Amino acid sequence: MKTKSPLQKKRDLILVITLFLLMGGVFLVYRMTAFRGESASASVYYGTEKMVTVDFGLQNVNIVSKQAVENKYYDLYGYNQFPYHDVEKNSIVLLGDYTVRGVRQLVVVSYDFEKKSMQIIDEKSPNNICSKEGESTGFPLICLPNNIYVRFEQERQLEV
Amino acid sequence: MEKTKKITLLSNFLAIAIVLNIIEASIPIIPVPGAKLGFANIMTLIIIYIYSFKEGIAISILRVVLVSLLSGRFLGPTFYMSMSGVLLSTIMMGIFVKLDFFGPLGVSAIGSIFHCIGQIAAGIFVIGSVVVLAYLPIMLFLSVPTGILTGIIAKKFLSIWRTVY
Repeated sequence: MKTKSPLQKKRDLILVITLFLLMGGVFLVYRMTAFRGESASASVYYGTEKMVTVDFGLQNVNIVSKQAVENKYYDLYGYNQFPYHDVEKNSIVLLGDYTVRGVRQLVVVSYDFEKKSMQIIDEKSPNNICSKEGESTGFPLICLPNNIYVRFEQERQLEV
Repeated sequence: MEKTKKITLLSNFLAIAIVLNIIEASIPIIPVPGAKLGFANIMTLIIIYIYSFKEGIAISILRVVLVSLLSGRFLGPTFYMSMSGVLLSTIMMGIFVKLDFFGPLGVSAIGSIFHCIGQIAAGIFVIGSVVVLAYLPIMLFLSVPTGILTGIIAKKFLSIWRTVY
């Protein structure tokens, strides 16, 4: 086993102070500059596949692709397709990968055209990190256990 | 006799690392999906100092596999993120312990930073998008105090260890 020298102690101190200042600086600059601009649209992904695009300018929701799910889920949740666009509630319902007793759970993403924001309002996962993120206007929302994420784009989507 | 003592000690270290890992997983300290700060790396660092990199990486891999089996997340998205973070941090800590330039505190801080980088790198593949990079600055920022804390604990442990063994 190695013995520590006073020189190592000094180097350690210099290193941790440098790292703390450097990472703190990067984080502060990032928080002040990143995701500050207004988003033109947002997309909801299931895995690597884009499912829905929400155009804030045109106030339009477009289902780009449908999830291939087992028939039992249509009866179980009462939706005729996934993703399901709930126009009244301004939300999109998807089927996540997280299972409870072998049953896949729903992920509900709401949109607000006026605020140009998205929010994951309902999902089931061990720590509920993505729903705890709250409303976002630019920062991506990731539901890792459900394999679903929302990302924002500065430019309008071509599909719309 | 020496071999038996080593196996017994490494088994104990593995058990402690598993408990630390499970406790850490149940407390969502950081708002990053699937990511952990790496408090269980304390045991990896201690093992590298007491034995060598070889034992450190073996116990780390065993820990990730066993914790994922116990929590039912084996081969799930968080498993790959944990494995990647642990492998990268253990390799980096092994290199810096070998170089003998920094002490446990510095090596721990380096390990903590690479633990985050490893997790985010795996996260890109797991999610299939670079969108996860948005979390890197907050994780790197949080990794420094975590690395310092784990470094202080490891340092204290090693100084007690030296007086006992």
